[in-house]
Amino acid sequence: MVRLLALALVGFLSSRELAVSSAGDASFKTSEAHSNALDPRLHNGSELKVFTFDYTHVQAPFEIALWIMLASLAKLGFHLYRRLPAVVPESCLLIMVGLLVGGVIYGAPHQTSPFLSTDVFFLYLLPPIVLDAGYFLPIRLFFENLGTILCYAVLGTFWNVFGIGLSLYGICQVGPFGLGDVSLLQALLFGSLIAAVDPVAVLSVFEEIHVNEQLHILVFGESLLNDAVTVVLYKLFEAFCQMPTISAVDVVAGIGQFFMVAVGGVAVGIVYGFIAALTTRFTEKIQVIEPLSVFLYSYLSYLTSEMFHFSGIMAIITCAVTMKQYVESNVSQKSRTTIKYFMKMWSSVSETLIFIFLGVSTVRDSHDWSWPYISFTLFFCLLWRALGVIFLTSIVNKFRMNTITFKDQFIIAYGGLRGAISFSLVFLLDDFPRKKLFITATIVVILFTVFVQGMTIKPLVELLEVKKTRKAPPTVSEEIHCRLLDHILAGVEDISGHWGQHYWKDKFQYFNKKYLKTFLIRGDKQPNSSIVLFYQKLEKKHAFEFNESEELIRPPHPPGDCQKPAPSVSPLLPDELDSIRTILTRNLFHIRRKTPAYNRHTLQRDGNAEEMKEILLRRRQSLGGNLTRKRGGTSESDKELSKEKRLTRSHTVGSEHKPAVEVAKPLPSDIPASMCATGAGGMENGPGLNESTQSPGGSTRNRRDKPQKTLSFSFQNETQE
Amino acid sequence: MFTGVYNFIYFLISLTVSHSQITRLYSRFTSLDKGENGTLCREDFQRIPELAINPLGDRIINTFFPEGEDQVNFRGFMRTLAHFRPIDDHEKNKDPNVSEPLNSRNNKLLFAFRLYDLDKDDKISRDELLQVLRMMVGVNISDDQLGSIADRTIQEADQDGDSCISFTEFIKVNFYTSP
Repeated sequence: MVRLLALALVGFLSSRELAVSSAGDASFKTSEAHSNALDPRLHNGSELKVFTFDYTHVQAPFEIALWIMLASLAKLGFHLYRRLPAVVPESCLLIMVGLLVGGVIYGAPHQTSPFLSTDVFFLYLLPPIVLDAGYFLPIRLFFENLGTILCYAVLGTFWNVFGIGLSLYGICQVGPFGLGDVSLLQALLFGSLIAAVDPVAVLSVFEEIHVNEQLHILVFGESLLNDAVTVVLYKLFEAFCQMPTISAVDVVAGIGQFFMVAVGGVAVGIVYGFIAALTTRFTEKIQVIEPLSVFLYSYLSYLTSEMFHFSGIMAIITCAVTMKQYVESNVSQKSRTTIKYFMKMWSSVSETLIFIFLGVSTVRDSHDWSWPYISFTLFFCLLWRALGVIFLTSIVNKFRMNTITFKDQFIIAYGGLRGAISFSLVFLLDDFPRKKLFITATIVVILFTVFVQGMTIKPLVELLEVKKTRKAPPTVSEEIHCRLLDHILAGVEDISGHWGQHYWKDKFQYFNKKYLKTFLIRGDKQPNSSIVLFYQKLEKKHAFEFNESEELIRPPHPPGDCQKPAPSVSPLLPDELDSIRTILTRNLFHIRRKTPAYNRHTLQRDGNAEEMKEILLRRRQSLGGNLTRKRGGTSESDKELSKEKRLTRSHTVGSEHKPAVEVAKPLPSDIPASMCATGAGGMENGPGLNESTQSPGGSTRNRRDKPQKTLSFSFQNETQE
Repeated sequence: MFTGVYNFIYFLISLTVSHSQITRLYSRFTSLDKGENGTLCREDFQRIPELAINPLGDRIINTFFPEGEDQVNFRGFMRTLAHFRPIDDHEKNKDPNVSEPLNSRNNKLLFAFRLYDLDKDDKISRDELLQVLRMMVGVNISDDQLGSIADRTIQEADQDGDSCISFTEFIKVNFYTSP
């Protein structure tokens, strides 16, 4: 609470600045009449002042910096108070801070409250967020679900716009409400700006509820791609409002405009993406400007497409997606880190500022409240979204492999939050008598969706989950078998892929590899196969971590109760059962990640890196056994596997006593003592036991000894062991 | 002659898996088959990066390959994957089998059972259980602890006292797990 007071104080101070600024403006304008070069350091033109206060000189940047500082302090405050972000999503808190500041400014005399000017929003605040979203977009998932996303974005938005617009028009026609002066076109215009799901709001709420990544990409992709539809419909209806008559040709032109906007935006993005990739090819000597080129080109693509009235959001996303793989290969590691951090920083600040301004702009004089209009707007927004999602999902499910369940549909429908884009669009409207009503209605809808839906979506999701599970704690067998089944299912899913679009994907990959990559990536950085790359990434990460920690990695000491020796055969006591459960929960490998790894506040963090390293190392050894067996294998696989062998970490691997074809012994006997210290003793079981599942013809391989490797944690890149 | 045989087989399989799924699976099969000889070998599977970090990856791959063979053709590929096809209400059920969902759940459990049971004696012995457990846990568990966990698992499931888990016992103990 102290922090809130501090924030209020900052807000008050900033309002003071505005007071001084407006006073300063007045004084500056009058003094301008006297002399242009009035220097405040001179008083009456004769003496030199020792101490001066010249606010007008630094006014604009000072205020901007002050607002940004307010935003960051607000974020800081929330996260220090630990329990709060779990209950209330950050966007709500930020809007509340904005409301507070707005109230303070409103209370201070002689103030016009600053509001979110449309230009500032669209040109400065929105691009960083969208760039961040596009750069960290999970591309494979996105393209696999592209059909569904497009369906929701285009058809769903059309459905929502016309549904909300027409039904609101119907409501306005009802006599006693007194809204008869809202024409059909105006109602449709309002529908077009209120129907669109907002990516900023969706992002900020969804990352706190941790849905699976497919669901996340559906809602998020929809919120990004519906920008094209929104822009076209908005401009169309606005133009229609001006025009006296509307002919069929105009409608056709509108449809043509839609395609133009979408395709144009994507084309601009691709062009700029390639230019950016090409630029980074040559920046080897001047590595410090690499991050700059990334940001500049993305921003330019946004501005260029806005210039042509194409969809700026689609342009910037396409640009980010296009240039990412080439840029990531070309630039240095430091530049990569810089790019990621700066992107996160800017998008974070932008988002905070947007929400605060939303709150500030709410507190103003000119609201036009009409109970029926506003309540029906809310009702129709929810209703039409739900209907649209259900209807579209039933169509889409016929073509999809992974069907969208009812629970998913509920989350998609309930997660359709409106945000600052609707807000800015409503301010852009030309003045007409009902504009204030529209503004009020938009603000109410935004606040409702962000607060009510944002806060309740997490408990509702958990409620829906709970119905499926049962109450009693699972037995040990169940835990193990359940985990086994999950691993199997994950593996089978990965093998079967996501059952679609592989033809085009492979064609694109081929084209990419043969032409684009050779053109756009520096000579020395041509990529290797994916497993090798992946392993390289893990290795580098481990090397960095090791550098920072400077101690040998030791297994963490298990707490006391886990070390209690268990009896050999007889039934176990309940406290030992608990200890077993604890052991299992701590040590069972996790299923591969199914929730999105990117986050508004942090960079990609791979929580399962240790486990993956483990598993990879075990398989490395089993693959090494395979390599000697398959002498007739294709040269490509040989080369790949030998490359992988070269990249293995120097890690002591004892020579293996390969088991006979029947059941293997648990432990090879000659593990060096040093290995036990590093806690890697359990590893031999894995590959050794894997070998026994091979066909019996591989017995010669079974007896081959692995070469001894020395124990050292140095990162061996290309040297042989 | 072969095309005729394959056509007939595809027809048979299409009774259990719907047509569009087959075409998609086939495109996946061909995209995995880098050697382009109509069959997959183990390296083709190992090239899938997510499978590399799946602790049971090797065993899953092995289930695709019939005894003693190193190549799997499309029919075998599909047959293994058909265990996991989603149960879809929209699908036209050629054979209106009321117990269909239970059946395919049993199929999945059978698949899992076979993953444990390497020597194919239809029982999971303690050692086989230990092997799989060792694959699924990290390095911080000692063998004693693992052994006690395996004992506990067998004890919970075993009903006929042979200290092995048979398939019926396996099904019963997995009554509450959702496949």
